[in-house]
Amino acid sequence: MAIDGLVILDSTGRPIVQSGFRSTSPAYPLLHIEALNDALSKAPRPADADPVLYVPNTGIDGPSACCHVKRGELRFLGLMSGDTDPLYVFAFLETFISILRDYFGQLSAETLKENFDVVYQLLEETLDAGGHPSTTSINALKDIVLPPSLLSKVLSVAGVSGLASPGTNSHPFASPIPWRKVGVRYNSNEIFFDVAEELKAVVNKNGGIIVSSVWGKVHTNCRLSGTPDLLLSFSNAQPLTDCSFHPCVRLQRWSRDKNLSFVPPDGRFILMEYKYTPGGVHHVAVPFALKASVDCEVNGGSFDVALTSRLTTKVLENMNVELYLGEGATSASCVVSNNTSWNFDPRTRILHWNIKAVSPSSSFSLKGTFSSTAEQPRPSHAFRARFEIPQHSFSSLKVDQLKITGEMYKPYKGVRGRSTGDVEWRW
Amino acid sequence: MAAQGGQDAKFFQRGKIQEFRAELQAAEAKDKKFTKRKTVLKKIVANITMGNDMSPLFTDVVQCLGIPLLEIKKMVYLFLVYYGRSKAEQIHLVIPSFLQDCNDRNPLIRALAIRTMSYIPIPVVTEALTEQLRHCLKDRDPYVRKTAAICVAKLYTADPRKAEKGGFVEMLRDLLLDSNATVVSNAVAALSEIGDRQDGVIFKLNLTVANKLLAALGESSEWGQIYILDSLLRYVPERHTDAELMAERIIIHLQHANSAVVLTTIKILLYLMNYMENRKLMDYICKKMGPPLVTLLSSGPEVQYVALRNILLIIQRRPSVLKNDVKVFFCKYNDPIYVKLAKLEIMYRLAREENAREVLAELQEYASEVDIDFVRKAVRSIGRLAIKVQPAADACIQALLDLIETKVTYVVQEAVIVIKDVFRRYPGKYEGIIPTLCENLDALDEPESKAAMIWIVGQFANRIDNADELMDDLTYTFMEEPVEVQLALLTAAVKLFIYKAQSDTSKALVHKVLKWATEEVDNPDLRDRGFMYWRLLAINPTVAGEIVLAEKPAITTDSDRMDRGALDQLLLHTGTLGSIYHKNPETFIRNAAGKALTDSPALNPLSRQVLVPLSRPNIPPAIHVPGPGPPPPREASVSPVPPTAKPAPPAPPQTGDLIGASSSADTLDGEGENEHESGEHGDEDSLASPSGSADPYANLDNAFGSYLADEPKPQADDHLTRLF
Repeated sequence: MAIDGLVILDSTGRPIVQSGFRSTSPAYPLLHIEALNDALSKAPRPADADPVLYVPNTGIDGPSACCHVKRGELRFLGLMSGDTDPLYVFAFLETFISILRDYFGQLSAETLKENFDVVYQLLEETLDAGGHPSTTSINALKDIVLPPSLLSKVLSVAGVSGLASPGTNSHPFASPIPWRKVGVRYNSNEIFFDVAEELKAVVNKNGGIIVSSVWGKVHTNCRLSGTPDLLLSFSNAQPLTDCSFHPCVRLQRWSRDKNLSFVPPDGRFILMEYKYTPGGVHHVAVPFALKASVDCEVNGGSFDVALTSRLTTKVLENMNVELYLGEGATSASCVVSNNTSWNFDPRTRILHWNIKAVSPSSSFSLKGTFSSTAEQPRPSHAFRARFEIPQHSFSSLKVDQLKITGEMYKPYKGVRGRSTGDVEWRW
Repeated sequence: MAAQGGQDAKFFQRGKIQEFRAELQAAEAKDKKFTKRKTVLKKIVANITMGNDMSPLFTDVVQCLGIPLLEIKKMVYLFLVYYGRSKAEQIHLVIPSFLQDCNDRNPLIRALAIRTMSYIPIPVVTEALTEQLRHCLKDRDPYVRKTAAICVAKLYTADPRKAEKGGFVEMLRDLLLDSNATVVSNAVAALSEIGDRQDGVIFKLNLTVANKLLAALGESSEWGQIYILDSLLRYVPERHTDAELMAERIIIHLQHANSAVVLTTIKILLYLMNYMENRKLMDYICKKMGPPLVTLLSSGPEVQYVALRNILLIIQRRPSVLKNDVKVFFCKYNDPIYVKLAKLEIMYRLAREENAREVLAELQEYASEVDIDFVRKAVRSIGRLAIKVQPAADACIQALLDLIETKVTYVVQEAVIVIKDVFRRYPGKYEGIIPTLCENLDALDEPESKAAMIWIVGQFANRIDNADELMDDLTYTFMEEPVEVQLALLTAAVKLFIYKAQSDTSKALVHKVLKWATEEVDNPDLRDRGFMYWRLLAINPTVAGEIVLAEKPAITTDSDRMDRGALDQLLLHTGTLGSIYHKNPETFIRNAAGKALTDSPALNPLSRQVLVPLSRPNIPPAIHVPGPGPPPPREASVSPVPPTAKPAPPAPPQTGDLIGASSSADTLDGEGENEHESGEHGDEDSLASPSGSADPYANLDNAFGSYLADEPKPQADDHLTRLF
């Protein structure tokens, strides 16, 4: 089980940063980069390139494989051989990306180049000699790799100890809890829980739900001093199934009484993820209805779409409906209701229809035609609609209380809900 | 660090070796806080990362190693990591600094020194490292100990025998009992790396140590958990209860946020289940494995893909996992193609009478999609569904006919190909649709569909009024057709003649075709078959008829599944490349060690019967050439058929390839019982007798059956099926 190395490519497919490939020939990473760029150019859409690319390496290193993910303009490659788990590579890439985000704020070729020395130190610490991921907990990492100085200056002003100067903590891993540093101090102690739920559904042309599921994440921002031990209980945790937790959560306790008992990491983290399954066989309802007809003719077609909110009190925000108009689609012209806008992206051949706010029970329409160089245009057979509902949760998950032990202070607690949806509506 | 973010970009300028050297020398003067040298070093490191060769600066850079500043040390060490290997004759200059740093007060520097030394596989360095490592493994600081553990694996790579003689393996073993969980998991990782080597010591766990490791699991980082969980594959339970207790201890890790931890846990549970007896517990574990697998599907497409390929294996071995969750695998139109194809295959596997209608409705939806590759496979899956689930066959055939109506050529072609198989599965039931198929003859321009249609015309020539006309038209281009179609034409012409011996057209036709096949064509297969038919017909046309039109073995979906022994073995690779490509990794990837179930009194009997032993090559240590590089091929006979990359991962489960000469006997165990899921036992452990297959045509089925949606091409040895 080992990752041979990591390479970060810019938007043109050129390497910006790569880890030292110590046990392979220098050509090894290059062969993978080449194989990847080749696969990307051959795939009908770049997103269709096989995520685990087999590289029948003809060099002295023998065959291997390359896992890749794209984040923003950057593409991250994890090179692997042997009995390695691709998921392990993807999990590492994901972790490394979030570390980079934490250190540099945003990810771009520029930031990586500006901070290359930090990036290299991070690589050294997170991916050990034999390609074993080692220290990836941000709290522990900041003891051994200092964030870019601007950031550390800010931190030292803010009074966070242990970060500002390298000398103060020469005993990394001194904390008995790997995800939490010792001696964290805040002037005001606060913790925020952000419950974000996403509805994913597929609806057939009659409005019948084929699949629908709600996935939730509890984003947490913890700014508590010392080593607090928290107990979070929900008033209605029963419909939460398929949960997965941050390592800090005591799993035994959850399986006993569905309470979350944990010593939180410092800063932002995802406390838990879950799937909401309403009782019985009911589906979670899709909060709007779409009536659509699409007709294809020679070199074009027409469509007529009506969208109605099924909500009675809340507003659907940033509704975005899109339709892929098929290979060869060149242009579209539409008439839309007031307060909505449309545009056609000739590069992706996707028609977008944006509605800022769909107020309760309101309706909107989109009518139009499109032209295509294909004699028989084949638009996709489904619309994709994405939306947000602020201050809402599909599961109506409620935090009952948060108990804190081990520390004397009373923290400020905040809980917020927000929901998004991603619905495929077939026509 | 000192330089503010935003200014470092200027270091990315091509610099000249001489300039850097001069700058370094100039920096030595009046450089109280070493800021000048730091700047130059930064430029040099930036140049290394741009791929410029900075190795001529070796002597200049290593002089900075004496500077007592962590930041500078880190850069010098980075330089050494890059160029140390190639500077064998100068490396001795650095040894004193290495030794000094190994005893520094700061644990970060101690760790940095041994880590860097382990990257430089030059004898003098290795020699020095050996000495230092001994006390670093017992350092009071856990950071140093955990780094030292990994360094042992590197030392072992550089010189296995020396590491063994030095007692390092034993010291690593002692670290398994360290008080710090990170140290424990790194020791496990190092031992696993050593144990995976072809020439390494064998790393096995006994129950006591395995339990100790489990105790460290809770405090480990996610990566540590993966190492520890993975190492449990090296523990062979001797009693059922041992396996059962261990499974109960690790099952909780199915709820970890890290997807790799989840999949590794599943791998170990699947492994332990081979050694269990308690049916209730096994059912419980199967039930528990479903939700985390579904959760993986809510992640990004890359993780979904890995999960899907693994699910495909898992549900073949343990059909009760996810059996009610087919809807989870319905495709979204904007899923990447590799996700769609993997989902399609799983939908087919999970299809049963109870959900066949929903599955069919989805497949029909997909048949109108944009992506041609996907549409083809959806159409083909409709046919396979008809073959697999008898009660749904009528609806599937109707769906196929509707699709043929669309006249979209690639849809029609795929439909024809599967309908041929449907005819074989349900003889005498659907021949009424033949005229509809004949109407679309002109649409067929691909060899596979054409050959399928020709097979249908020949096989049912007695039911098609104008069969001789059709055949006459079809043979018109005989000489230009690919061999596949020519073979089909030859057989069909013979069949036509046997059905309609009186007809002059058919007589002339068979004569013409036989003559072409035997005299004009270069392909030996075609010629041989031509001669064979010719003689058969010449000697005794009646007998020829009996032979050529003999009753064919019915097609079943049994052999769609993988051989059980191979499956057991592949599941040990759950999550690894092997499970993506459905091949044992050692056959196609470098540095991969094979895995096999190990026999023990607790192993369940059926698994034992199909046990595929693993041969560990006994390379005498003396011959071994130390150093990195690909391992020697394990067996000449295992042809490393590299999977071809397009379009989706390759590798149909060519059982022969995976397990050598094993017969296809195991497809038998309980198709009826498992596919149709009679209930209590959701998996294949029920001991059906794996007697040798009574059906001499079992291999024929394979020719048909093992095509996966992934792998559109039927096997080449399909000739036999066509011959008759």
